[in-house]
Amino acid sequence: MRHILSLLAICLIVATSDPASAQDPGMQTRESIMERQRGLGLSGDYTLPSGQPPAPETVQPGSVPQLGTRGYASDSDIWRALRDGSANATPSSSTAASQLMQVIGDDWRMIRHDYLIKYAGWVLLGVILLIALFYLIRGRIMIRGGRAGNTIPRFSMSHRIAHWFLASTFILMALSGLIILLGRPVLVKGLGEWLMVGQLGMDASVVTTLKSVNGVLNNAALQGHNLFGPVFILSLLIVIIRFMKGNFFQKADFGWILKGGGLIGGHASSNHYNFGEKTWYWVVVLVGLMISVTGLFLLFPWLSDNLRFHQAATILHAVGALGMICFAMGHAYVGSVGMEGSLDSMLRGEVDVNWAKEHHDLWYEEVTGEKVTHDHDEIPETAKGTA
Amino acid sequence: MTFLDFVEGPMFYAAAAIFVTAGLWRIIGILRIGKKPDLAPARGSATAGWWKGNLRHFFPRGLFAERTWMHILGGYGFHLGLFVLLFFAAPHIAFIERFTGLSWPALPRWGFIIAAEIAFAGLIVLWVRRFSDPVMRQISDWDDHIGTWLTFLVMLTGCLALQESVVALRATHMLFVNIWLIYFPFSRLMHAFTVFLSRGATGASYGRKGMNP
Repeated sequence: MRHILSLLAICLIVATSDPASAQDPGMQTRESIMERQRGLGLSGDYTLPSGQPPAPETVQPGSVPQLGTRGYASDSDIWRALRDGSANATPSSSTAASQLMQVIGDDWRMIRHDYLIKYAGWVLLGVILLIALFYLIRGRIMIRGGRAGNTIPRFSMSHRIAHWFLASTFILMALSGLIILLGRPVLVKGLGEWLMVGQLGMDASVVTTLKSVNGVLNNAALQGHNLFGPVFILSLLIVIIRFMKGNFFQKADFGWILKGGGLIGGHASSNHYNFGEKTWYWVVVLVGLMISVTGLFLLFPWLSDNLRFHQAATILHAVGALGMICFAMGHAYVGSVGMEGSLDSMLRGEVDVNWAKEHHDLWYEEVTGEKVTHDHDEIPETAKGTA
Repeated sequence: MTFLDFVEGPMFYAAAAIFVTAGLWRIIGILRIGKKPDLAPARGSATAGWWKGNLRHFFPRGLFAERTWMHILGGYGFHLGLFVLLFFAAPHIAFIERFTGLSWPALPRWGFIIAAEIAFAGLIVLWVRRFSDPVMRQISDWDDHIGTWLTFLVMLTGCLALQESVVALRATHMLFVNIWLIYFPFSRLMHAFTVFLSRGATGASYGRKGMNP
């Protein structure tokens, strides 16, 4: 600090002094500074304007020499020391004690910009295309024997409320999160700069407008995301508890995997939940808890004073959320347009008997005590889905 | 005149006028219906029954408590949360003060946030029950869904404008508030006021007969 103040004092005096005094042979010139930095003329041949020689520069043993009034051969050592934290310089914040520069921020920024933001949108688009492709090839999975007309209860009211409660908050969180993460690259870079200006030749002012729109959307999305976060955690905990029974992996799940869930190798038996549903449940539990915990650290940064942890939290939060959105899209597809009769279970709490026999035969046998025969395993032409 | 000036000015005055006028018209209309004279001798107090009818329905009956705990929690969460949001959020108090000069202490920001969280959680649970429960689904119509969604949008836009730094968000919130105010008196949202008349009337009728409402 003393050296910096000395330097400032010199600058102030030089700036306010009479220009004629610059000709004083004792004053330093650009040439003399360059000379010293080249290692020449270090014996000290200048004085302060007051006529006093500059204070001697002291360097602590083992420490990196600080920038003094005379400069040194190279400042890169100082900058390197500041970057790796050995300079013993500290900002007032406690988040990076004894370290003035947080170099890992460069890596964090690179991962976020060059990988996460760059590819996140493509991953989501890819999953949507995959689902569409699956629908075009496989069509809607129909109940092979057709609807029986009789139903059996599958989910209680509390199950359904818990499910839709989580689904609602998840949609709100996903939309607001995607705006925060991808708003600028999609709206400004993609839509504005690339499409509207680059391809359609529109005026560049449209980009400025889109930047403003993005600013408003981001401001709103951030408020919404922060507000709904705790509600999402509450709904997640309710779902974890309410759906835990029956979601532990069982012997029948191995058979289900081998038969690709019935896509290859004929009928795949399953209990109340099949392997896919159980996997989805545990993804919700593990990834959901992970994004909840990392989200809480982002919402309440004072929970930890380790900056690296916060940087990791932002990456994990975004990656986990993206993964969950991808899974959720597949789940929503199979649970609605992808499979006949499956939406009934969450809308009405009851499913058609034939649907239960086909998709959850072991559960059906357990509930009714009735043995299931798979007479309809061969898909009749009339029950085949159409793309 | 900016859009914000419009939604906080002429449109708000019009919406508030419709809300008050139509709301009073409906309440006065209900009160004017009156009731046929009951010629049977009274076996209890109609007034006590009115109060009983109102108060007893705040608590679920023992038989139903176990089955209905989720939407009871949701219902209380939403209504109390909304009440706190509406009357104790600092921006709302400032807005009311601007028009009426009345002011009272506001909740701290964290209190406001918690009230909003509870209100949102409750509203979502109630709406999910509306389309999940077979009986609720049968007795619900567009009015119920529009009322729920309008209320949700008013709350949502309000929370999105929480930072109070973007004029467009504040204007959007005020636009939905105005639509909500205009829709309110013509819909079942009026239950906010008529619930006490309805419960009271049933309670008074039962009370006069010497029965528990």
